Amino acid sequence: MENIPKIEEPSTTTERLAYSVQESADLLGVNYFSVYRLIQRGKLKVCRALRGKLLVPRSELLKLLETE
Amino acid sequence: MSNRFDDCRLTALEEQAYAEAREHFAEHLKQFLVSREAVERLERNIAKTALAANMAASKPTPKENIIPVDGSGQWHKNVDLMDNICLCHRPITGGAEYAVVEHSPARGTNEIWNRGWNAVEVLKAFAQEQRRALQIWTEDLTAQVKEFLVEKYHGQDMSRAANSFMHRFTHAVSQQHSQSHEQNHSRGVRI
Repeated sequence: MENIPKIEEPSTTTERLAYSVQESADLLGVNYFSVYRLIQRGKLKVCRALRGKLLVPRSELLKLLETE
Repeated sequence: MSNRFDDCRLTALEEQAYAEAREHFAEHLKQFLVSREAVERLERNIAKTALAANMAASKPTPKENIIPVDGSGQWHKNVDLMDNICLCHRPITGGAEYAVVEHSPARGTNEIWNRGWNAVEVLKAFAQEQRRALQIWTEDLTAQVKEFLVEKYHGQDMSRAANSFMHRFTHAVSQQHSQSHEQNHSRGVRI
């Protein structure tokens, strides 16, 4: 089989812009409900993807950690 | 107008999609049940908790239960409500003021959720906020289930499987709640 050199994809080096609530909970080390509570209180600003799924911008997580 | 076919049983493929969604979102469902139960427990015990808070407010507080709250002086830790969240009070002229306070273990600080002169009202407002957070969760989960099924079954309409998933899930939760409520109720009946 031909040996094809691997090309490093930009996605491996580019930081993601947003995370799901579950991913955010894992990153913060809290349970899911804690993240939904932060969203409900307006402490964590979120946006909605096409089908309505919540996305937490990376900048919001960093902001929360800074204030934490 | 509702479609009469909505009531039909799921097809084999839809059943499969439903089972896959259930497996994929198992952790979601597990955590949702625990959180919802905690909120329901809080709602059921509002009167009892408020009474305990009123009684505690009329007694001196042990030193170790007096906590500093961000920008709001010192409060007396009263009743634990949820993980890292408790009902507090502080003496004021002619009575006490109550607040739901959340402790942040990461930075060791305490922050007020809501406050007021009436413990019942403070607890009710807090419980309503928890309900709204659960509602946001349900909406997000619905969207996630739909997205999961659309990606997995590209080009096929799996909306009935998604709706069935959320319907059966919320129904199972409320059924579980009513069963436990019935059990609690029957325990009090003497024959």
